[in-house]
Amino acid sequence: MKKHAVLIGSFNRARSLADSLINKGYRVTAINSSYDKSVVLAENREINVINGDGSKPFVLDDANIEYADLAIVLTPKDEDNLVICQLCKKKFKVKKTISILNDPLKSSLFYMSGVDSVICEVNAITNIIEQQAFYDGIVTMIPTGEGKIRIAEVPILESSPVVGKKMWEINLPKESVIGCIIHGEGTTIPRGDTRINCGDKLILISAANQEMNAIKELTGRL
Amino acid sequence: MKNHTKISNTYTVIIGCGRLGASLATELSNSNLDVLIIDRDKSAFRKLSPAYGGLTLIGDALDYKVLEEAQINKATTLIAVTNNDNSNIMVAQICKLNFDVPRVLLRLYDPEIKCIFSDMGIETISPVTLSIDEISKRINPVKRGAKI
Repeated sequence: MKKHAVLIGSFNRARSLADSLINKGYRVTAINSSYDKSVVLAENREINVINGDGSKPFVLDDANIEYADLAIVLTPKDEDNLVICQLCKKKFKVKKTISILNDPLKSSLFYMSGVDSVICEVNAITNIIEQQAFYDGIVTMIPTGEGKIRIAEVPILESSPVVGKKMWEINLPKESVIGCIIHGEGTTIPRGDTRINCGDKLILISAANQEMNAIKELTGRL
Repeated sequence: MKNHTKISNTYTVIIGCGRLGASLATELSNSNLDVLIIDRDKSAFRKLSPAYGGLTLIGDALDYKVLEEAQINKATTLIAVTNNDNSNIMVAQICKLNFDVPRVLLRLYDPEIKCIFSDMGIETISPVTLSIDEISKRINPVKRGAKI
């Protein structure tokens, strides 16, 4: 049987998440409190749409949420998200709950009350804006492990001090590692004797506090 | 708080200055208990009786800064009576889990949600359940304390 995911709240996020979950083979139910938006969501035949307030147990029941594999809670209000998550967890025995959160101070409260995964929007967005503003040329960065670990894609330009060097010659800070090298024709999982060329992109995995040092070592600037 | 004589060491914080919150605050303050009432709307405090001798605080009680300003860590009782169930639940849990307030009561319009915090030591007052009990008691006095 297909795994069942329920998305609660937020029209835009629900729509794009629904697409990606359907691609991954989930059966998707979306709950939206606005009738008009529910109608638009229902244009995608594969989404089962319920119009109603997700913090009401009977609405969740309508969505057949009991024993669902995944509930993703996306409403704009922290208090609604908390109640929905707790209902999912305690009343409907949903296997995994993920919630977004506005106020970073409340993340401990969410974890304490049994939510499996909390995504703090404000933190995530500030991080992205920070990267766009300060880290020139570094394309993507994914904070993971509760923000303690970062993954960055570092392009190697001609000016970089590591061009032509072998991996073991680079003096990377502790708690950082190059997980993969992307070059024209493909990718390499590097070993000590792998040579870095101009135009490569390095996937750098590092502790959040070492990331700046590692990038500096690789690009020679910042 | 300095202006009137304390008769005990209780300090009650009430969240939400609606009809229930305002009357409750007035009553507690008339019995010379320390009370602070929080509402995000200044005009809500008009519902307090002119004799109200406690404190008022304007702000969103879901904001930790507002709760700290209310000295929630010194509160002995918290009563969450806003008109939104979910806000009441969240503020009650914050006060119970993060600030260790000894007694936490909340009003809940929808008694079905009660199951999510029944194990946290939070007391619930549900107007629906109370009304059902009372009405069924009156129309069918034999079956006392009928439970729904």
